Amino acid sequence: MKDISTSILKIDNEEKANGSAIYVSDITIPGMYYAKTIRSTISKGNIKKITLPEMPENYTIVDYKDIPGKNVVKIIFEDQLIFAEDKVTYYGEPIFLIVGPDKIVITELEKQINIEYEEETPEFEYVNSAVHYNFKKGDAKSAFENADKIIEYEYITGYQEQLYIEPQGIVVDIDKNGKVTLTGSLQCPYYVKNAVLQALDAKDSEVRVIQAVVGGAFGGKEEFPSLTTTQLAVAAKKIGKPIKMIYEREEDMEVTTKRHPSKIYMEAAISKDSEILGFRSNVAIDAGANIGLSGVVLSRALIACTGVYTISNLEVKGDVFLTNTVPNGAYRGFGAPQMLFAVEMFMHHIAKEINVDPLELRLKYLAKQGDLTSTQGTFNDPIIMNEMVDKAMEISDYKQKKIDFAKEGVHKGIGMSWFLHGCGFTGSGESTHINALVKLRKDKENKVHILIAAVDMGQGIRTTMKKIVSKILDIPMDQTIYNLPDTDFVPDSGPTVASRTIMIVGGLVARAAKQLKEKWVDKEDITVSERYKQPEYIKWDEENFVGDAYPAYSWGVNIVEVEVCPVTFQVTLKHVWSVYDIGKAIDERIVMGQADGGIMQGIGYGYLEVMNCVDGKIAQKNVTDYIIPTSVDTPAMETVLMDNPYPLGPYGAKGAGELTLVGGAPAVALAIEEAIGNKVFNIPVTPEYIMELIKNGKN
Amino acid sequence: MVKNIIPTSLNEALELLNDRPFKIMAGGTDLMVQRRAWSQTPPEFIEDVLYIFNLEELKYIKEDKGFIVIGSTTPVEDLLHNDLTPFLLKEAIGIMASPALRHMATIAGNIGNASPAGDTLPILYVLDAIIVLESIEGIRELPINEVITGPRKHVIKQNEIIKEIKIPISVYTDSVFEKVGGRKADAISKLSFTGAVNIKDDKVLDFRIAFGAVSATILRRKEIEEKYVGLTKEELIGKVDEIVNEYDPFIRPIDDQRSNKEYRKTVALNLLKNFIITL
Repeated sequence: MKDISTSILKIDNEEKANGSAIYVSDITIPGMYYAKTIRSTISKGNIKKITLPEMPENYTIVDYKDIPGKNVVKIIFEDQLIFAEDKVTYYGEPIFLIVGPDKIVITELEKQINIEYEEETPEFEYVNSAVHYNFKKGDAKSAFENADKIIEYEYITGYQEQLYIEPQGIVVDIDKNGKVTLTGSLQCPYYVKNAVLQALDAKDSEVRVIQAVVGGAFGGKEEFPSLTTTQLAVAAKKIGKPIKMIYEREEDMEVTTKRHPSKIYMEAAISKDSEILGFRSNVAIDAGANIGLSGVVLSRALIACTGVYTISNLEVKGDVFLTNTVPNGAYRGFGAPQMLFAVEMFMHHIAKEINVDPLELRLKYLAKQGDLTSTQGTFNDPIIMNEMVDKAMEISDYKQKKIDFAKEGVHKGIGMSWFLHGCGFTGSGESTHINALVKLRKDKENKVHILIAAVDMGQGIRTTMKKIVSKILDIPMDQTIYNLPDTDFVPDSGPTVASRTIMIVGGLVARAAKQLKEKWVDKEDITVSERYKQPEYIKWDEENFVGDAYPAYSWGVNIVEVEVCPVTFQVTLKHVWSVYDIGKAIDERIVMGQADGGIMQGIGYGYLEVMNCVDGKIAQKNVTDYIIPTSVDTPAMETVLMDNPYPLGPYGAKGAGELTLVGGAPAVALAIEEAIGNKVFNIPVTPEYIMELIKNGKN
Repeated sequence: MVKNIIPTSLNEALELLNDRPFKIMAGGTDLMVQRRAWSQTPPEFIEDVLYIFNLEELKYIKEDKGFIVIGSTTPVEDLLHNDLTPFLLKEAIGIMASPALRHMATIAGNIGNASPAGDTLPILYVLDAIIVLESIEGIRELPINEVITGPRKHVIKQNEIIKEIKIPISVYTDSVFEKVGGRKADAISKLSFTGAVNIKDDKVLDFRIAFGAVSATILRRKEIEEKYVGLTKEELIGKVDEIVNEYDPFIRPIDDQRSNKEYRKTVALNLLKNFIITL
């Protein structure tokens, strides 16, 4: 059999190309009702009075009083209400649903609703810290005391919207025994199931969650669907009818979770002979109105505080701030894109301050196998960044371009980012929170059913999982079956997040396949299972941020070339080059798809995608105003994958999904910085910001 | 209940318009967005709608007595591929929206919508386009700047329809249309600049400038342009700072979700300056 990386056709190509794939919006159940969410129109205050129109027969509202269980969405930190009660904390907060059979009638009823508020002064600044973390490595105190020079800069990053092409949507059905079945566009069937169980105060067998074909997610369907599904489950329990709720684009953009805006303050202690003695960093992220999983986002950001570099002495702290704005949440990269932008810019800015070639400075501190991580864990596996950097510079002609672009009157720039991404849950999350279980079942026809809760949201795992199983068992692809996850049939293999699916779940699937191979008896029904076990050598102290924060790391180099128009300050992307170490690609073309999409999402975050909250309201709330790159903005791209197999991943595979995004913003920002000759501190680097930098910026 | 009517001829459309008020829709690329409603429910029109897009008799582009004449239901994509279409108009259409929209959008729609960011409007201003309005009472012709009176405001009467757009045939030795949008395609202008000159035997015979999205309507000042007609090219270039200063007070953009007024103003004037010094 061929090398596992050899590309095959994705198994969902055909259904997606010919339109036969069933998305949640395509699902219609006879007698189905529709739901519309009525939301807060202020940022903070008390609800004084709700005046409803006279409701026609079959139309009803569903609010917090209808929740049989707890009025809170079960996610990592439980502080988000399913429906607001007597107060609201952000513009767009759900207060109740109107449910009924006809959308036009619902729209008419909506217009007649009047909610009176007693307004309070909302907070939009970083003042209310809800989570604070800090940790140290080495002796930062002495490093800063002994420093010849302290270099300090602040870096600011904006919102980023996932902008999956398919908005959030859920359909709920209820049978005569009261069992609810939720089918939707979601990443984590068991997050949803557990949230609904808690809201309904129901027994395990009374809730079923099925994944519909997902039209993009990028983290936006990690925790958010736990809110909409619980709302619909409560409604179905009250009304006893199937109900559908699909968000309109503007509703989706205004009220669903986004990437956390951040302010990152970095300080470096520099010795007389230009050594970096230590870093101090202070990270602030804007959670919006709820904590949700912002604490975990903050930890991933803090742990990435030295990027790919080994810095001996560190003092790291960070806060999750609550503001009266839309809650932020998971987005591909999960805290790392903010931090890696700051670190990469900071290393360049340090080099400029101390008059050292940035490349030399960075190579000097580049982490090597055996080095201690920011949290005093160990980089256990081989690091091939030196080869990767060489390769990236060679294919991009980096050094020559650096010289050419430095000339007077040339408005071009080339920027290079180095980055890593921890694969899987942060810390001991995989063993303590997730504890993944996978099963393979061989039926009497010798067909092998892959029973996992992992969701294909475009990243290709319906193909790659089948590939792993068929290769290990040496059976044809079509002898393996991987249906869309359904919690009545698959075990909890964990959420589809954190670049964990191929490495962790795929690793378990591979082990299960080997087990099945040994137990294989023709025409017999056999089920095997595997549960996650933390590798012995991985130790993590969650309280103090000490130890191995991740079992393994993927690595990358991005180079971006730009031209900045001196008249309009607009940026044109000229070329992008990438080199990645993802262990081993399970399917090369699928990884290339991830690479092309990921880097454009990362670059878009860095120079194009503007989203502001003005007086508590998202100002860019449709695809006309929220600008993401189109194919016309996308330059030629060249990507090289360098094998560096990870022993515990299937065929050596590590995570790939987030890695391809996290280096985009610093690479494009550095390219722009070079083109204009002024230091860049904020992303996105818009033409408006470039104009300001050219007028008032620092060299 | 809103009525949707598809007339089969211009005459029928004019009769209907004379009878009662309608919202006229051609390609609907602006209107369907403005009146959008919950999916699977009808768009939120409060008035009856007259769909004129399939009036074939208004789909044409022709040359007539010194004018290029464009029928009002002609999709802009057709104009892009027609040899008669003025160069500047093609420049504007080429980077307008996306291919799908260009097959539906019309210039008449840009006029009826009267957005200061309408992509073809600065071109119509620079080229002194005449808008031909027809009603059952007859035809009247108005220059574009008299048709549009403010953001989303125009003088087209309830019983009138835009029949065609007449563009005087003129010659330019140099002309540019610069659209500054959020990205390279499928974007609404933050601002735009249009410049056209005709320099013959080193003498400026014609000098025209228009800006989009920097004031309530498209900005064109004929009294400024006229001051510079008759100069040599070198003299014109030498007066670049003076020209920039002349336009400065008229450029009064706004802050919005797409950009800010400092950027809009700086870049508008940069583009003007760049156009002149690179002649």
